[in-house]
Amino acid sequence: MSTEPCCPNNKLAFIYGALLLRLWLAVRAIQTGVEKYAGTRSGDQVVAVDGAANAEGLTAAGSLKYYALENYHGVPAALMKKFQAEPLMMKFALPLYDKILGPTLVLLGITILLGIASRTSLFLLGLLYMSLTWGLILIKQDDGVSWLGIHMILVVMALALAEHNRFGILKKW
Amino acid sequence: MNPLSNSISRRDFLSKSVAGAGAGLVLGAPNILRAANADGADKIHVALVGFGKQGREALFNAMKNIPGLHFQAVCDIWDYNRNSGVNSVNAFQGSKPNAYVDIDEMLAKEKGLDVAIIATPDFWHSPHTVKCLEAGLHVYCEKMMAHTIEAAREMVKAMERTGKLCQIGHQRRSNPRYRYTLNRLINGKKICGQIVNASAQWNRSLGASQNIGFSKKLTIDQAVLNRFGYKDMMQFMNWRTYRGLSGGPISDLGAHQIDIFNWFLGTVPKRVYASGGNSYFKDREHFDNMMCIFDYDTPQGEVRASYQVLTTTSYGGGFYEAFMGTEASIKISEIAASSAIYRESGDHVPDWGDLVDRGYLIKKPAPPKPEASADAVAAYESAAPDIYDLPGGFGKPAHQPHLENFFDSVRGKAKLNCDARHAFESEAPIFWVNPSALTKQPIDFTSEHLAV
Repeated sequence: MSTEPCCPNNKLAFIYGALLLRLWLAVRAIQTGVEKYAGTRSGDQVVAVDGAANAEGLTAAGSLKYYALENYHGVPAALMKKFQAEPLMMKFALPLYDKILGPTLVLLGITILLGIASRTSLFLLGLLYMSLTWGLILIKQDDGVSWLGIHMILVVMALALAEHNRFGILKKW
Repeated sequence: MNPLSNSISRRDFLSKSVAGAGAGLVLGAPNILRAANADGADKIHVALVGFGKQGREALFNAMKNIPGLHFQAVCDIWDYNRNSGVNSVNAFQGSKPNAYVDIDEMLAKEKGLDVAIIATPDFWHSPHTVKCLEAGLHVYCEKMMAHTIEAAREMVKAMERTGKLCQIGHQRRSNPRYRYTLNRLINGKKICGQIVNASAQWNRSLGASQNIGFSKKLTIDQAVLNRFGYKDMMQFMNWRTYRGLSGGPISDLGAHQIDIFNWFLGTVPKRVYASGGNSYFKDREHFDNMMCIFDYDTPQGEVRASYQVLTTTSYGGGFYEAFMGTEASIKISEIAASSAIYRESGDHVPDWGDLVDRGYLIKKPAPPKPEASADAVAAYESAAPDIYDLPGGFGKPAHQPHLENFFDSVRGKAKLNCDARHAFESEAPIFWVNPSALTKQPIDFTSEHLAV
């Protein structure tokens, strides 16, 4: 019976690990950014009967989710009020942060997904999560802080696996 | 290969094909082309003929929700209605329509009209519809088609002679709730089993049945009234109660609902028995309280359908149509809250759990069980039925789907849900209710009674 390990250098596993982590972080960032453009439109929707829209035109009141630039909201309104009430919060920076949060998440998600300056992109994403963490600490959203802590661990893991990162467009930085 | 065929370039082929298709459209559907005309914006140019309560509140308000319409002319003999029409249209579209007292003058002067929406008193429906069809317009005319069966026949003949579209305003025919009930539940899932009885009513309180008053300042000139067939202003305002001007409550209210009998049962009755009288309004020409029974032979078997219009409504009031079958009964109304579907109790009725799971029906909460009473023998009572509802409604004014169907048909995108011929087939038995009540005799229908 052989006692040799099956995978002597385990390189492929690291490559897969780096790729999966990269994808996860990219999807998380992109979709979170895109969701900031989501809104709901209330109105009548065609009722589904037997799995298909009924041809007779019966409708029922409901809400429909849709995406549009005019729906954009960086920081949720409820949280915005709490941030504005915090003495340590820089009031002048809040509107700017509100404006750039969504586009920044989308942009960093795309650069991580495509492997454009992966390490710097991951670092910037980590900084962004850190800024969010600070805000949530201020308003005592401990659950959110924990969630972001997990994100930070994943970002650090992705950086640690950076040498195994493949399929990138710009590998420098 | 024929050398000539090589000489036809691809561009030639395309242009000739388009021309051919256009010729086909011109030959096959002239109505459609005319509607998408004029200013190139594909607007349908509308004449509003009659801008009273029905024309304004039921039709114009619903048409405001339909894109692509341009209200070009308003015609009404009463300046109060006519001015209201001009102002309403102006407020809606930002331009005043041309106003007319006389429909002949309107048809002579107005160029580019596509359709006429007719909401005049019943005795004017037929002359107005025929004039407009012959002037090349498509027509949407309120029900009842006419005050006499002969006048209604003229409308069918004019529609077929001119090749124009003529929709009659039985708006339930386009109502999604009615169409769903008929197509998916009664015909599709056959949830009623064998329908053995139908009933309908439109009962109104005395308050809702009084004569309509008017301000003396708004009285129409007597010569104008006489010219357009009215004895005086009282008759103009209350034309529904005069025999020469309308069919009375049985056609004014009953036409909608007796039409549903015929549509849902898929046939016309073979006999009518009617009874009526001036139970309260003694000086009215038409009966104010009426009941009638229609006998039907349907493919499933005999059906008796009763209809009543009364001047009382506190008990079991309102308006609705009901179809009672061996497995379920459906009560349906334009008012969704007055509608319900009752599953018969008993082992012979299939379980409807699957229909609910698949979205065909919604089960309503069971009504509270009545307490045991010493003065009733419980064994005589059937178990309370389960109650269900349709899975949806439609968030539009009641007349809008029927008007949408009309305008879609004008644009060539749909087929009329109730053209004049189908409306006549359904309305013909209604013309014989008053004669049956007056003679106190049943009338067995023959083709002379019901055919165009």
